[in-house]
Amino acid sequence: MKRRSFLKTGLAATSMLAAPAILKPAFAAAPVTIHGLKSVSGAFASYGKFAEMGSKLAVEDFGPVLGAKPAYVTIDTEGNAGKAVRKVQEAIQQQGAKFFQGCTLSSTALAVGKEVAKGGGVFMTPAGADEITGTECNSATFRWTVPTYGAIHQTVRPLAKELPKKKKWYTITPQYVFGEALLTAAKDLFKELGIEHVGNSYHSTQEQEFSGYLTNAMAAQPDVLLILNFGGQASNCLRQAINFGIKQQMTILVAWTAGLDWFQSLGPEILEDVYLGAQYWHQVDTPMNNALVKRVKEAYGITPNYPLAADYISTTVILDAIKKAGSTDGKAVAKAMEGMSYDGPTGKETIRAQDHQVIKDYYLLKGKAKSAMKDPDDYATLISSGKSFPEGDKILCKMA
Amino acid sequence: MLRLPDPKAVWGGTTVAVLAVLILLPIVLPSATLATEIVIFAMAALACNLLLGYGGLLSFGQGLFFGAGSYLASLAMIHGHLGLISALLVAIAAGAAIATAVGWLAIRRTGIYFVMLTLALAQMGYFLAYTLADWTGGDNGLLDVPRPPLALFGITLADLHGAGAYYAFVAALFFLVYIGARRVIDSPFGSTLVAIRENETRAAAVGFDTRHYKMLAFTLSGAVTALAGALYAMLINFVPLDNVAMQMSENIVIMTVIGGTGSLFGSLLGAGTFVLLGEILSAIWPRWPLLLGVGLILLVMFLRGGLWGGVESLLARRKEAAE
Repeated sequence: MKRRSFLKTGLAATSMLAAPAILKPAFAAAPVTIHGLKSVSGAFASYGKFAEMGSKLAVEDFGPVLGAKPAYVTIDTEGNAGKAVRKVQEAIQQQGAKFFQGCTLSSTALAVGKEVAKGGGVFMTPAGADEITGTECNSATFRWTVPTYGAIHQTVRPLAKELPKKKKWYTITPQYVFGEALLTAAKDLFKELGIEHVGNSYHSTQEQEFSGYLTNAMAAQPDVLLILNFGGQASNCLRQAINFGIKQQMTILVAWTAGLDWFQSLGPEILEDVYLGAQYWHQVDTPMNNALVKRVKEAYGITPNYPLAADYISTTVILDAIKKAGSTDGKAVAKAMEGMSYDGPTGKETIRAQDHQVIKDYYLLKGKAKSAMKDPDDYATLISSGKSFPEGDKILCKMA
Repeated sequence: MLRLPDPKAVWGGTTVAVLAVLILLPIVLPSATLATEIVIFAMAALACNLLLGYGGLLSFGQGLFFGAGSYLASLAMIHGHLGLISALLVAIAAGAAIATAVGWLAIRRTGIYFVMLTLALAQMGYFLAYTLADWTGGDNGLLDVPRPPLALFGITLADLHGAGAYYAFVAALFFLVYIGARRVIDSPFGSTLVAIRENETRAAAVGFDTRHYKMLAFTLSGAVTALAGALYAMLINFVPLDNVAMQMSENIVIMTVIGGTGSLFGSLLGAGTFVLLGEILSAIWPRWPLLLGVGLILLVMFLRGGLWGGVESLLARRKEAAE
C-alpha cells in the first residue's frame, strides 16, 4: 500500500471511529459535576434563564471539591416534564450523573426526583408542589421552597396582626392541588384567628378573565381580598382588581408571588399598597444575601431574583454536602445534607432530616409607591418574615 | 383507478429502509432513550398518517388517544398489577374504543366541523384527566409507572430496564405495527380509504359505506396511538398531563406533516426530525419553536409531500436524468 493511500485510509477509519464521540456528549472530566435542570427554552424560558445564571455562578464561586474544580452542565427541560425525565435518564445512564438541581414545574420535579432516587443520586429543587417533601418524598430529593402552609401562615397571620379590625376576608383560588392546599391552610388559620371567610371564588387553571370573580368579591364586601393564584394568573387577577378600583375598597394580599421579576412585569402603579408573599427578597439583611447581591451585580449587572437565588443556594448546598461527605456516593451525600445548617440568603437555613424540607424564612412585603422607590428594584418594603412549617403528624412524608 | 393489493409489496421498498433506520438509530444517536422517544412518536405519527394521509381526515384528537393509552396502561399496571403485554393490550383496546366513539361522532360532519369536533373531544379528555386527579395525579402527573419485564405465561423473556433492551422492544413493536399498517394500506380497505380521500361522493356513489370505512380507520389509528402512549409512559415511568393536552395532538400532526402525509416511512422521518430539531435548536435559541414554525410554513409552501415527498421527487429527477 502506498504511503499516501495508507494515510488516507487511516484518517478515514479514525474519523469513523470518532463519529459517535462527536455526536455523544463528552464525559465530564471533573470528579463532581452538577447537572442543572433548567427550562432554558420553551414557555418557561424567562424563569430558566435566571435559574441557570444562579447555578452557573454557584459552581464558579465554589472552590475545589474532592481535589478538583466542580463542573456544571445544563439540561434543558424545554418546559416539558417528559423531555426532562428522558434527559435525566440519559445523563444517569451515559454520564453517570448523580447530582441534579433545578426544575421549574412541580410535575417535572416530582418525576425527576423519582428518577434520581432510582439512579442513586441527589436532587434539590425550588419547585412549588408540597408533595415533593410530602406524600411523594424520597431519600434523594430535597426542597428549598417553603410549602403552602408556611406561605399562608407567614402572610395571613402578620397581616391580620397589622390590621386587627379587618375581620372579613374573601379568597380567589385556582382549582387544582396548589390552590386547594393554600385555601385549606388559609381556612384553618381564619378559624384560629377569628376571621370571617365571607366567600371564595374558584377558577380553572386556564382562566385569564377575572372580572366575574372580582365582582363576586366586591359584592361580599370583605375587608381583605386574598389572591391564591400564581404567575400570569395572579398578574391578570391583580391588574383587573386595580382597574376595578378594588384597592381603594379593601386590602389586597397575594400570598405566593414569584418575587422581583414578577414585580418588574407589573410595575409600582399596580403594586403600591398591595401585600405580597415571597420566598426570597434581595433587600433582606443577612450576610450571605448581602454577598450574593454584590456578587450577582458584579457578575451579571442585575439584582438577584427568586429563581437565581434559589438555584444558587441549592447548588451550593449540594456542593457543600459532597465536601462534607468526602465522597460522590449519592447516599452519603444525601445523609450529609440531612440536618445540615448553613448560612443561606434568608439567614440560617436548616434541612429537616425527616422530610428533606429546608426550614427557612418566608416574607410578607408591601408594594411601594413609585415616588418612594430608592432604586429601580426597590418595589416593596419588608413587613415581616418567619418560619412556619407543618410539624408532627402534619408531616406527610414517609421516607422509605 | 383503485390499485389491486400486492401482498409481497409489504416486505419490499421502504420496509427495508425502516428496518435499517431502526437498527442504526441507537448507534448513531447520543442515546438509546432518545432513539426510543423517536420511535414511539413515529408510531403515533404513523397512526395519524393512516387518518390524514390515507383517509384525508385531519384529527386533532390524537392526543386524547395517546393520553388515554398512557393513563390506562399505567393504571392497569399500578392498581391492577398487570404485566407488560396485558397493560399494552388494555391500552390498545381502550384506544380503539375511545377512537371508535370519537370517530362515530366526528365523521357525521366534514371539513372544519369535523376538525372542531375532534378538537373539542380532545379538550374534554384533557379536562377529564385534570379533574380525576385522584386517579391521574392531575397537574402533577401520574408517578411511579413501572416498566415490567417482557413475560409470557409467567416466563420472563426479557428484562426491559436497560435503555437498550427497551429500545429493542419498542423498535420490534414499531416494525410489527409498520408491517401491519402496510398490509392495511395495500388491502382493499386501504384502497377504499384512499378512494374516499380522493372523492368521498364518488366512493359513496359506487356503493361504499364511507362512514363505516372512516370509523374503522379511526379505530385503527386510536389503537396504535394509545399503544404509543403506553410505551411512552413506560419509557419515562410517568404520565405528565401534557400527554393528553392539545399540544400533544398538535405535535403528532406536525410530525406527520413534516415526514409526509401518505407515507408510512415519512412518519419515522417526521418524528425523527421533530424530536432531533427540538434537541438541537433548543440549545441554540430559547424560542426555537418559532424556527420550527418557519420551517413548517416553508415545508407546506414548497414541499407539500413532506420530507419523504422531497426525497421521492429527488430520486425521480435523478432517474429521469439518468434515462
